[in-house]
Amino acid sequence: MLALWRKIRATGRVAEPAPPLPPAGEVPDRVRELRGSVQVRHVDAGSCNGCEVEIGAAFGPVYDADRYGARLVASPRHADALIVTGVVTRNMAQPLRRTYEAVSDPKLVVAVGDCAVDCGLFRGAPGVAGAVSDVVPVDLRIPGCPPRPAAIVEGLRKLTGR
Amino acid sequence: MTALHAGLGVALGAGSLTALAGLLVPRRARTTVVGAGLAITGAAALLAGIAAMTGRSASFAVPDLLPLFGLLFTVDPLAGVFLAITGGVTVAVGIYGIGYCRGPGDGQGHDHGGLDARGVQAVLPLFVLAMLAVPVAASVGTLLLCWELMALTSLLLVIAEHRRRPTVASAGRWYAVMTQLGLVAILIGLSVFAGHAVDGSFAALRAAAPTLTPAVAALVFVATGIGFGSKAGIVPLHAWLPRAHPEAPSNVSALMSAAMVNLGVYGIVRVGFDLLGDTGAAWWWLLVLGLGALSAIYGILQAAIGTNFKRLLGNSTTENMGLILIGVGAAGFFGTAGDLDLAALALAAALLHLVNHAAFKTLLFTSAGSVVQATGRRDLDELGGLNTGMPATTAAFGVGALAASALPPGAAFVSEWLLLQALIHGLPATGVAGAIVLPLAVAAVALTAGLAVATFVKAFGIGFLAKPRTPEAASATEGPASMLVGMGVAGVACVALALAPTLVLPTIGSVAGATVGAGDPVRIHGLTIELVGTLGATVGSLSPLMLTLALLIGTVLALAGARALATRRAARAARLWDCGGGPLSARMEYTATSFAEPLQRVFDDVLRAEHDVDVSHYDESRYLVQTVEYRRRVPDRIEKRLYDPVLRLVAAWGQAGRKLATGSVHRYLGYGFYTLCGLLVLLVVTR
Repeated sequence: MLALWRKIRATGRVAEPAPPLPPAGEVPDRVRELRGSVQVRHVDAGSCNGCEVEIGAAFGPVYDADRYGARLVASPRHADALIVTGVVTRNMAQPLRRTYEAVSDPKLVVAVGDCAVDCGLFRGAPGVAGAVSDVVPVDLRIPGCPPRPAAIVEGLRKLTGR
Repeated sequence: MTALHAGLGVALGAGSLTALAGLLVPRRARTTVVGAGLAITGAAALLAGIAAMTGRSASFAVPDLLPLFGLLFTVDPLAGVFLAITGGVTVAVGIYGIGYCRGPGDGQGHDHGGLDARGVQAVLPLFVLAMLAVPVAASVGTLLLCWELMALTSLLLVIAEHRRRPTVASAGRWYAVMTQLGLVAILIGLSVFAGHAVDGSFAALRAAAPTLTPAVAALVFVATGIGFGSKAGIVPLHAWLPRAHPEAPSNVSALMSAAMVNLGVYGIVRVGFDLLGDTGAAWWWLLVLGLGALSAIYGILQAAIGTNFKRLLGNSTTENMGLILIGVGAAGFFGTAGDLDLAALALAAALLHLVNHAAFKTLLFTSAGSVVQATGRRDLDELGGLNTGMPATTAAFGVGALAASALPPGAAFVSEWLLLQALIHGLPATGVAGAIVLPLAVAAVALTAGLAVATFVKAFGIGFLAKPRTPEAASATEGPASMLVGMGVAGVACVALALAPTLVLPTIGSVAGATVGAGDPVRIHGLTIELVGTLGATVGSLSPLMLTLALLIGTVLALAGARALATRRAARAARLWDCGGGPLSARMEYTATSFAEPLQRVFDDVLRAEHDVDVSHYDESRYLVQTVEYRRRVPDRIEKRLYDPVLRLVAAWGQAGRKLATGSVHRYLGYGFYTLCGLLVLLVVTR
């Protein structure tokens, strides 16, 4: 326990300084109902896990998306927004639809990564049901293969407005 | 002719006739006649017991029935409590048994190994009669005779289903050996006691008690305590209880668990408080208290992590007997410290818990019996979903579980509250020993109460609610009406004891007061129980009915408030969240094992569960898992440490004995010859 405290003291603060707030852009108006606090549920609809690594980094101590009001939660019942990664495979199309139904209003969907935005490399591959927007309505797109953590944080800040 | 005489006469007559009817009546009507006879016997015994508790007493002597010692019976208030409990349990179990014992063709096609057989049906009333006779026996010979009759009849009933399940035989052997060793211990203790008295009657023993040396008195108390404690299933003499109770037919389990084990407590109270009188030393009662606390915690821990339905209830019996013995031990301890009022309060708590335990354990065992009969399954992990097929049994078990789990508005709450009050108020009166022991006892009672809640939430939630885990559980239906009526009787008793303990507590209090030689420890003020401390001051009060009403009103208000708040917002109907996958199946449910896993982890140092995980792979790649098999076993550690060495020793001795018998006739003749010579030499030398 003492070693942990010592480590914390020695390491100090590692978070990047906050960049300026990005313009809201394509985000719908109903995001204002959330008033700066967005609970996020992550759905892997068929990803290669590259985007997951970057999301992990975005919520890690360096990029620290939590300080802008975004938070990962463990169930769509607790969530305001879904972040979906990967192409939607046929097996995950129905669960994704059900997850979307399970989120309470106003619900937002963020497509993270090129595969989620437009199928990317996997366009036309067998077993692929389509991009995320073919299955559930998408409110915000964060392209990249994978997107940099800074890009993910920037996208989430458009939702929180902080 | 008073109510007491009438009740006793009817109980004896009806019981004997029922035993006879069990032999003579043809199979078709047998269970009905025996069940009705048992109900009448029980009701008469209940009335006699109540009459005895309210102060009537009677004595009967049959001097010439047996050579050397006659039979002597005395009914006093203490015996009345046990008569009434046994009688009440018999009423419920008798009615329940009408349907339960009926052979195949009960709609389910399950064969219960001939519970309606002549032998079982004739022995059942004898067992009840023996249990009724034990508390009224008033001489050493009579007590031992009735005790042995009770042990033998119960043994026959435990092995009634031996043709169906081979495990019954092993349970029967354990029970037979332990109950007979218990009898030997009682025999030694009471014989030593009677050797110092004029004759074997209890009156003579009472008169002789002050002349005993402390060592002899301690020997008598400890020897009889071992025998009676083993009958009560007290740790470390509990090994038979979780074996015999689950393997016996459920009506017999109910009788044994709700009525027979009580007689172990009776024996300790009778010998310790009544026969040995004031000669008791503090360490006797601290021993009783300590073993009670150990049993309470150990029993409920085993029950909390167990998955066998009936074994769980058996372990819970050990727990409750432990709680009762905490009360008895505390009463004796306060008595030796000179605070008789507190002693009476602790004993009243113990006796009330005895009554409550009898009521809810009858209900729990009978409803568990219905479940086992309807599904043929005993493992909680194979049940579930019974609330649709067996709504009445589910409700009955729910009432029993609430009564057993020391929470208001349950019956056990009142008695455990009384017990805690007695222990807490005992602190200033008892010096250093009390200052060490009593807080530990309070902690033991509190821990037990918490674990009991977890146990019964598990038993009810996993066993009865949610989705059925096996086809048998899915297709289970209610048994015959008589079984439901039997459960109903016990259920009504549970509810009455929970809501209106004010009806029984004054009587039990005065019995406890009379036993330790003090005044009434509780006073009833309207619907409120008031505890009488020293000098007649009120030291605590409780109104179970008001508490229940307050809880009810609070629940209704909370629900109404939640609903009012919820309707303000627009409601949206959505699918039950199942992780987006297919429909929820029974395999996704909590199991009894997984429910108890956190507890097992917390108490791992005590329990030392054995885990075993087997993973097998496909031939193609060891990354493709074919099956995963998980096994968990929680061995009884006390049993392993204490019984296994003894059993090994006995077995080794037996093996060694075989070497003496080689089959040679000459050698056997030699043994006889040399033994005779040795005896003759011994006689010559010692004369």
